[in-house]
Amino acid sequence: MKLIPGIAISASALTAQKLWMDLIANNIANMNTTRTEGGGPYRRQMPVFRERLKEALEGGYRGNGVRVERIIEDDAPPRMVYNPDHPDADENGFVAMPNINIVNEMIDLIAASRAYEANVTVLNTSKSMALKALEIGR
Amino acid sequence: MGFIFNDVAIDLLEKYLDAAYQRQEVTANNIANINTPGYKKSYVVFEEFLAQALKEKEGAPLRCTHPAHLGSVPALDEIAPEIRRDYSTSHRADGNNVSIEEEMAVLAVNAINYNLAAQQLSNKLSLLRYVITEGRG
Repeated sequence: MKLIPGIAISASALTAQKLWMDLIANNIANMNTTRTEGGGPYRRQMPVFRERLKEALEGGYRGNGVRVERIIEDDAPPRMVYNPDHPDADENGFVAMPNINIVNEMIDLIAASRAYEANVTVLNTSKSMALKALEIGR
Repeated sequence: MGFIFNDVAIDLLEKYLDAAYQRQEVTANNIANINTPGYKKSYVVFEEFLAQALKEKEGAPLRCTHPAHLGSVPALDEIAPEIRRDYSTSHRADGNNVSIEEEMAVLAVNAINYNLAAQQLSNKLSLLRYVITEGRG
């Protein structure tokens, strides 16, 4: 038994939520990016969260936080914008813009930051419990 | 436990602290997975077992010596927190059933209970110290 209950669990969640926020920041930063390494416009990136488990042989409670299994790209079609002067416009004058909806990104940002805050609260509670345990017998 | 610590209350408080520690971990894991699709929450069952065992202690119990005995109620020193997973509900379209309000409430109550038990244990021990030092400690 560790001194602070669930510190690794909360830490993993903070890392995961922060990574999500990084991805959202990157999505918003690349809202208008038409050129990427793989060719074509930038595509929205999303994390896939998965429950992390302890090794079965450790016994006891196996929940051990969360991890980002992989980062996927949104398959939604690009936003077509009529802009014949753009260097990446096709023969009809349409430019394929990233499939990013700023409203979605903002909502995700709120979800990620609230989840982050909740996990900070858990961490602080765990810490105060450990401090209280240290006072036993004093 | 030795002779001066031969006190049911101390054993119970220890057990309670363990259970609250476990509940903190389980709740932390639930909150950590608030955005994980398909995650099902876990919870700790302990107080029910404790109440059962205490009730058994009061009456004239037929002590079960094996957990498989019919109507077996664990003895006070055998109770342990049990972790269960709730597969029955879904709060959201992605199959996750963690309710953040519920978890934060459990978290707050659990921390207070843990502090209470720790304080109670401290008080028990300081009583012992008081006696050992003949009231001078």
